[in-house]
Amino acid sequence: MLDAVFFYTFALMTLTGAVLTITRKSAVHSAIWLIVSLLGVAGLYLLQQAEFLFAVQIVLYIGGIMVLFLFVIMLVNLDEAAKQRQFNNQRWIALGCAVIVGAEILYVLAKGTASLSLPAPAAAPAAGGNTEQIAVSLFRDYLLPFEAASLLLLAAIVGSVIMAKRRA
Amino acid sequence: MNFLDSIWLIPLFPLVGAAVMLLFGRRLANSVIRILCPGTIFVSFIFSVGAVMQLAGSEHKVHEVIKYLWMPPLHADWGFLLDPLSSVMILVVTGIGFLIHVYATGYMAHEGGFYRFFGYLNLFVFFMLTLVLANNYLLLFVGWEGVGLCSYLLIGFYYHKKSAGDAGKKAFIVNRIGDAAFIVGMLLIFSIAGSLRFTEVNEFIEAHHFAAETAAWGILSTTALMLFIGATGKSAQFPLYVWLPDAMEGPTPVSALIHAATMVTAGVYMVCRSHVLFELTPMTLQIVATIGGFTAIFAASIGLVQNDIKRVLAYSTVSQLGYMFLAAGVGAYWVAVFHLFTHAFFKALLFLGAGSVIHGMNGEQDMRHMGGLKKYMPVTHWTMFIATLAISGIPGLAGFFSKDEILAQVYGSAHGSKALYVVGLTTALMTSFYMWRLMYMTFYGTARSHVHAHESPLSMTGPLMVLAAGSALVGWLSVPKFFPIGAHTFEHWLEHVFGSEKGGAEIPEVLLTSLSVAAALLGIWIASRIYLKVWEGPLYKAMLNKWYVDEIYDFLFVNGLAKGGGEVLGAFDRNVINGGVDGAGWLARMVSSVSIWWDTWIVDGAVRATSFTVKLSGYPVRLLQTGHVQSYALVFIVGVLAMFGFYVLR
Amino acid sequence: MPLANFIPTADDYLRYLPEIILTVVGVVIMFLEAVGGERRKPALGWLAGAGLLAAIWGSVVALGVGGTGFQNMVIVDGFATFFRILVLVIGLLTIVSSTQYLDREKANAGEFHALLLFSIAGQCVMASANELIMVFIGLEISSIASYILAGYLRDDRRNNESALKYFLLGSFATAFLLYGVAWVYGLTGSTNLAEVRRVLMTPESAPNLVLMGTAAALMFVGFAFKVSAAPFQVWAPDVYQGAPAPVSAFMSTGPKAAAFAVFLRVFITAFGPIATRWEPFVWGSAIATMIVGNFAALTQTNIKRLLAYSSIAHAGYVLVAVTAHSEIGTAAAMFYLAAYAFMQIGAFAVVTWFSRQGEKFVNVDDLAGLGERQPMVAAMLTIFLLSLIGVPLTGGFFGKFYIFRAALDSNLVWLTVIGLLNSAVAAYYYLRLIVVMYMKEPGAATENIGPVSAGLRVAILGSALATLVLGIFPSLVLDFAGRSAALVK
Repeated sequence: MLDAVFFYTFALMTLTGAVLTITRKSAVHSAIWLIVSLLGVAGLYLLQQAEFLFAVQIVLYIGGIMVLFLFVIMLVNLDEAAKQRQFNNQRWIALGCAVIVGAEILYVLAKGTASLSLPAPAAAPAAGGNTEQIAVSLFRDYLLPFEAASLLLLAAIVGSVIMAKRRA
Repeated sequence: MNFLDSIWLIPLFPLVGAAVMLLFGRRLANSVIRILCPGTIFVSFIFSVGAVMQLAGSEHKVHEVIKYLWMPPLHADWGFLLDPLSSVMILVVTGIGFLIHVYATGYMAHEGGFYRFFGYLNLFVFFMLTLVLANNYLLLFVGWEGVGLCSYLLIGFYYHKKSAGDAGKKAFIVNRIGDAAFIVGMLLIFSIAGSLRFTEVNEFIEAHHFAAETAAWGILSTTALMLFIGATGKSAQFPLYVWLPDAMEGPTPVSALIHAATMVTAGVYMVCRSHVLFELTPMTLQIVATIGGFTAIFAASIGLVQNDIKRVLAYSTVSQLGYMFLAAGVGAYWVAVFHLFTHAFFKALLFLGAGSVIHGMNGEQDMRHMGGLKKYMPVTHWTMFIATLAISGIPGLAGFFSKDEILAQVYGSAHGSKALYVVGLTTALMTSFYMWRLMYMTFYGTARSHVHAHESPLSMTGPLMVLAAGSALVGWLSVPKFFPIGAHTFEHWLEHVFGSEKGGAEIPEVLLTSLSVAAALLGIWIASRIYLKVWEGPLYKAMLNKWYVDEIYDFLFVNGLAKGGGEVLGAFDRNVINGGVDGAGWLARMVSSVSIWWDTWIVDGAVRATSFTVKLSGYPVRLLQTGHVQSYALVFIVGVLAMFGFYVLR
Repeated sequence: MPLANFIPTADDYLRYLPEIILTVVGVVIMFLEAVGGERRKPALGWLAGAGLLAAIWGSVVALGVGGTGFQNMVIVDGFATFFRILVLVIGLLTIVSSTQYLDREKANAGEFHALLLFSIAGQCVMASANELIMVFIGLEISSIASYILAGYLRDDRRNNESALKYFLLGSFATAFLLYGVAWVYGLTGSTNLAEVRRVLMTPESAPNLVLMGTAAALMFVGFAFKVSAAPFQVWAPDVYQGAPAPVSAFMSTGPKAAAFAVFLRVFITAFGPIATRWEPFVWGSAIATMIVGNFAALTQTNIKRLLAYSSIAHAGYVLVAVTAHSEIGTAAAMFYLAAYAFMQIGAFAVVTWFSRQGEKFVNVDDLAGLGERQPMVAAMLTIFLLSLIGVPLTGGFFGKFYIFRAALDSNLVWLTVIGLLNSAVAAYYYLRLIVVMYMKEPGAATENIGPVSAGLRVAILGSALATLVLGIFPSLVLDFAGRSAALVK
């Protein structure tokens, strides 16, 4: 019962935050609403007894990445960009389509949930939390994706430098 | 020397010629090219003759040489098959190909890009020989597309002429439509028989005793129909004939070689090659015969009033190809091949003769500006005279034997019908009319232009004379059964492929022959009444006044009939006969203008509608391609919506 | 837990050798770029080329050990090796055809080569992925690097537009892919392809088919974007037109081939048991893709845009092979992608040379008289165009032939007929280029045209040779493809 209350609270936080992120005009407001949304996700992790992920979510996303975001937003004059002509005159069609797609997904889910065979929930972690399990998963089972992701980040960094660098 | 095992070399000689021309041709003197290119074809011809002679001496009359296992899973190899059918084809391709090459050395002497022209021409011969010697459908298709490509290159040879480029493009694209069907047919054959090799496919079909699909439309009928649609593209049958008349934009030797003697007959060859399949599908055969007959009469009716000398011949070719399909459609495959064989001689000769006229008239192609050329170009005139007699079906010349046999088969065969016979006979009448119209307008009467015409050089007239001899004589290889003299060589030779003729209904052959000769003579007579009278040529007086009218009068007077009776008959001649002739002329023009109307409005209209559709189809695309990322994302969402909707609704 | 459990075996490293080589060489190039002077720049291209050659060798070594590695994350079989080598060869051709371009645009720099190698590494990961997570990471490595390459000349507005569009829409499509992965995990409890297949095959544990079909549809969106299949193809013309010509050549072949590799592997291995669920939308998409690509190409006047639409149409033909979901279908798709890569790169290489600085000459009419001025290049371009049309004795013909054969074998009659009619329509716009080249008087664009640089010459001749070899001796590649196609499951 209490779990359900928490779940819906966090879920509501996540969704409201997400919607407001994309509807606010001011970039700073958007960023702050994004923080709210990410906090909700962190709460969901905690509910799943994934303490490590919870901590990482708070420290990395909210603590690190979002602060960088805010810095960038405040350094770059985004208000100027907001005043420029926006090509969003089809937003109502787009909204309609998105709503229909959402409805379709819901319908399909509703039709199929009965026969949904979700895997059994993981066993309760031993004392000390699930950090060790994550380590095994990340550094043994998923070692290769973990390492390959570094190549992904490297490519992204090189790319952003190229894009930002002023050519002589 | 064992020519039979060397048949794979036959296509290679022209290929070597083409490679030399296209790689080093620019540096070679024209005199070298003049020897080299016809030379390669001549070597192929020698090899072909040798191989055919050895084949005739062999026991099974079929010889297969597989040089390289090309695609083992498809049973498609780099392999060659020589049997009586392909032997006829290689002799036509190399023999007539050689003559046309020789002719072209004279015709193209003053053109730029001499080496390029001969390079393409040799390449064409290579692909054509690959096509007819291939032992499987896939290799045949390689040749099939190759000849199409070369024809495209050669039509567009005068690349400063925009119409030439357009005509080449049209030919290529119309052929692609036929090719699509051919590929489907080929795939169906593979899925039925598990092989693409002719011998294996035929064996499989024979061994499995497929019931003939007489009652219901089945997979075999579809397969055969697909192959036939492929053939209509290459052999210019209705409704895919539209490219051939335009293809006359190319140099005349090209028209003679590709668009008369060889490439356009590839469809007929392919249908005959697949005769085992077609035999089992009477309904498809019916379609083949109907399309063939319709194309024959339809194209002939357009040919009645064309004024461009090459276009008359182009429509005539379409019409004659229709005849061949008519023969194949009634199950008389050997007759189709026989007509293909004789047609190659006289039609090549007609084109080359027309080329000689155009050459002599400094490029003039409109017959209304010709006339009276007989005395300036005697050799051209007499050779074309023979060819025209042959194509009209005058007894003793090549066209007579093959055309007569086709009409007899259409009349008598189990697949044939009286209606198709009437169509064929009418076409014969039209053919002789438009051909003599061409002769009269070109060679007789008075000259209607100030161009000083001159006879062509020996390199051009030589091949004309050889072909004229052929047009006169090759028909004797297979004469009607009631003929006291002559041979049946051709028929017996092809029996090894198609089997001996099944005993059909008794054919009143003498009567049929008389009818077709009468049709030919009637055509000549109408043409002479119309065209010689208009221009009061010398032959008009000679032929009409002396042969017919005078003799009739003499006959009447000798028999002592009253003068009044003579006057009555004179009035009959003036009013009724002339009226009849005028009426026939009017009818011909009528039919022809209906056909031309169809050609310009429906066919061109279809082409225009297609290009309009193309433009129209650009609009939705342009509507979507706004360049805005947002709209693109919207398209994505709509796509997702549709995909999910599919699941929701199902 | 003992440390030894965490250390991969030597064989695991060997199975991953090409990716390792590419990453290391890419990083080394960036170092050298920083420390080397202006004069050393050309050497970086050579180094990148050597790296690619080494990676080809690495792929062969990897095939020698074969099997799955890194806890089932990668699978090295004939299929993976085929696509690894294909994208590596595409990379080689891209490098040789871009040197002159980069010099001309004064943009010769190590990053270009490094990013190219990273992108190819991502494609190699995709080719050998045996796990949805690996699919996603490989796809992203490949994509992010190609987003940057599309906008490599950052002072060029067309490049900027191209990169931005590619990036935004690519991220959008990847979101669908990732959502689909999440669904698959939720429904089957695994992201391993073989495991997903096993779950779907077992009747008692098989999840609801409606949900599973939707999951497949979500993943299809991601793949369809990468292979530019309708209705997710809208980005392709703008992006290919705006990007630097050698990069367009690369983007329309490398990522596409790799995306088809994962598409085939995921849909045939993992989703094979529910083929009836996904066949309808792949079927529909194949038809729509062919029609949109071919008909839109008819009215194009810009060669790059024309080739972009043509690339869409060719993706449609490959989708026909995917719809067939049989072994010969897979083999046909593999062969077609190889044949297509050579003809497309070859055609783009000619455009690269022809367009001159700032890509001034990219209109169809600019080609007028090329046959007279540069007969050799015109002949090569003709070979590529004939192959794109699908004329026998070129790779394109046999590609189409095998695809339609596979389709007919799977009873996809309408798909075959529509596909063949489409290929007849396609002849029209390719032929227009040939007509312009040979049958028009030379214009301003063909006057004073410079010679073809050595690199481009290698690229053009190599592609033409490969196109012809695939057309004349298709068995060389087809046999290997046929044997590898059986291993997909």
